Amino acid sequence: MKSFSFMRVSIWVYLAIFFAYLLGPLVIMSITAFNSPEFPRATPWECLTFEWFAALFQDERILNGIKNSILVGAGTVVLSVAMGLAGALMLTQIWPKLRATYYTIIIAPILIPGVVIGISTLVFWDRINRMVGLGADSFLSNGLFLTVIGQSTFIASYCMLVLVARLQRYDTALTEAALDLGATHAQAFRKVLLPFMKPAIASAAVLAFLASFENYNTTTFTFGEYPTLTIELAQKVRYGITPAISALAFIIVVLTVFAALFNEANIRRKDLVAAARKDATVEELESGKFRVPGFLSSNWAAVALVVMACATVVVVGTATVYSPAQCIANVQEQKRIETELRIQELRQRRAEEAARKAAEEAETAPKPQAAPSDNNSGFGGVFSPNTLTGEGEEESKAPEAEDNSNSGFGNVFAPSTLSGD
Amino acid sequence: MPRFLREFFNRNGVGMGSLMLGLVLFWTVGLIILPQLSMLDFSFRPNLPPPEIGGPKDVYTVENYKYLIFGPEGGSQDYNAVDLRVFYRTLIAAVFVTLFNLVLCYPIAYYLAQTKGNHIRIFALMLIIPYWINEILRAFALRIIFGETGVLNNALVGLGIFDTPFDFIRNDIALYAGLGYAYILLMIFPIYNVIESLDRNQIEAARDMGASWTKIHRRVVIPYAKPGISSGCTMVFMLSAGALAAPQILGGPSSLWFTQLIYQQFNDNSDWPQGAAYAVVLLVTCILLVLAVMRLFKVNMGDIGK
Repeated sequence: MKSFSFMRVSIWVYLAIFFAYLLGPLVIMSITAFNSPEFPRATPWECLTFEWFAALFQDERILNGIKNSILVGAGTVVLSVAMGLAGALMLTQIWPKLRATYYTIIIAPILIPGVVIGISTLVFWDRINRMVGLGADSFLSNGLFLTVIGQSTFIASYCMLVLVARLQRYDTALTEAALDLGATHAQAFRKVLLPFMKPAIASAAVLAFLASFENYNTTTFTFGEYPTLTIELAQKVRYGITPAISALAFIIVVLTVFAALFNEANIRRKDLVAAARKDATVEELESGKFRVPGFLSSNWAAVALVVMACATVVVVGTATVYSPAQCIANVQEQKRIETELRIQELRQRRAEEAARKAAEEAETAPKPQAAPSDNNSGFGGVFSPNTLTGEGEEESKAPEAEDNSNSGFGNVFAPSTLSGD
Repeated sequence: MPRFLREFFNRNGVGMGSLMLGLVLFWTVGLIILPQLSMLDFSFRPNLPPPEIGGPKDVYTVENYKYLIFGPEGGSQDYNAVDLRVFYRTLIAAVFVTLFNLVLCYPIAYYLAQTKGNHIRIFALMLIIPYWINEILRAFALRIIFGETGVLNNALVGLGIFDTPFDFIRNDIALYAGLGYAYILLMIFPIYNVIESLDRNQIEAARDMGASWTKIHRRVVIPYAKPGISSGCTMVFMLSAGALAAPQILGGPSSLWFTQLIYQQFNDNSDWPQGAAYAVVLLVTCILLVLAVMRLFKVNMGDIGK
């Protein structure tokens, strides 16, 4: 029993460490978005400020990057879902002997490094472009086209995996029935297969958009004159970081949490409604007395969603009226006082030093100075190694030490010590 | 028209069938196979200005591969020590990142898969949320933490563990933490999927027979989870060897990742064939390494991606 509870505790500790590693960086980054120093830092905390959000929304390049990302994302979603669906359908029909090879080919882009996909796309379409005889500014070497093509290469594989999972549960007899009843192939596809695949297509599209939005490795070779948000961010992060990036990250984190909670709340609600229906009697259902459970009842995700929405409204409301100017001024004042204090301290120390030096010189006038340049340096000797120990003491002790013995052990090993008794 | 093609069009209709076939061919041939072959071909060519491409000077050469091994012609060293060391270091580091992720994620995946309850859904959400956030931003978050005046250094100096701030970035600790961080989900998910389908009774039976906790894992769970483990390891290894964002943001100034060399060849030196050759070397080496390890542990290619 004891070892069992020990296991439990260690599991929870492990989980805590794991999730701290996973979520800690995001939390700290979010905190830096609200701290006033120019360099993103969580400690020391100075002032609560929203100016980094303002800076973010005034950044022309970031806004342009978001626009390009959405363009690329839309193109990638259309192309990769279409190719993924075709690829998945083909997988269910292909000649069994070819199946393994075919599967390897369409799964390979997931494993090929993104850098390699970017390069091969760039090289290949550049060559096609030259073969066709188009100039350097044709649509084939356009950053938008290349990025969509490059990203779709591997994102289509993700879509294919999602779609195949759903397609495996599809009963082909449904399509056959539709065809027997006189539907054309296109009609059977549109009216029978497509509605069945709709949930999987939706999740494949979301996945494709997210994958496209955050892709860096492939895009960095293909973007041309259409830098996406990720590219802009990478350039900013590499050449000096500001809390405005933290602000953007915070917005993305909040949006993500919202989307996740919304999705979760919906799923829970569906489950709850289904369970309530199951428990309800036939009478209740038919007489219309059946009550659908409330949106918030026993649904933690919905509660969390509402709480977060309220919090967001409050924060945005605060941000519009709040001004950190006073606090920042205070902090600056404090810093100024601190520096002044430090300068005064330095001055005082320098004065003491000078006084002592003068006294010393008077005492041991003929002695050569150990470090004559000390007093000439701008720091007034505070940084010289002797400042801390005090020169005078050192010099007066030195001859004493010499008298005692030459070895560091001070006579214990001298032969006289043992034989003396 | 061959029989299988006729059958295919019979089943799908001419219009739908050709649309489907067209898309699949465009994807497999136009986007996957031909670009890779084109890159391979390109890597064997000299670096020429555009007007000379296809001209008499445009002949096949192994110059680009020689450069990786022996360095520039007439160079002072026998071998291209700098690039080779980067290449070697990248592979070794990627292996370590993979092992680190496996050790870190296996207990979590096992716990999530074998425990029932409401909190598991919350954990799953908490796992997925970081992966909806940009790779660059995740690396950026780690840089805030590991920086010279970052949270970690402030905490360590504040607690008196270190006297002076420790340079995590120069020592590559930030880089390894970042790479490990980036691909946790890709390790957890395949292992989770496999372990979830493991019948709990098998574990109970082993326990009833007196197997110790380690023995249960070694003899029952791990053999069963092997496809998931190999799938996760393959993905993490390939992605971390091919990572570019994390090394660019978190890497020390003196240490490079092999992908950064490729990037430099393309963007700074504009020597595309050289970059293509490096990319081919990276791709081929990674694939061979993965295949070798899969053979060693007797895993099939078909298990990947499940």
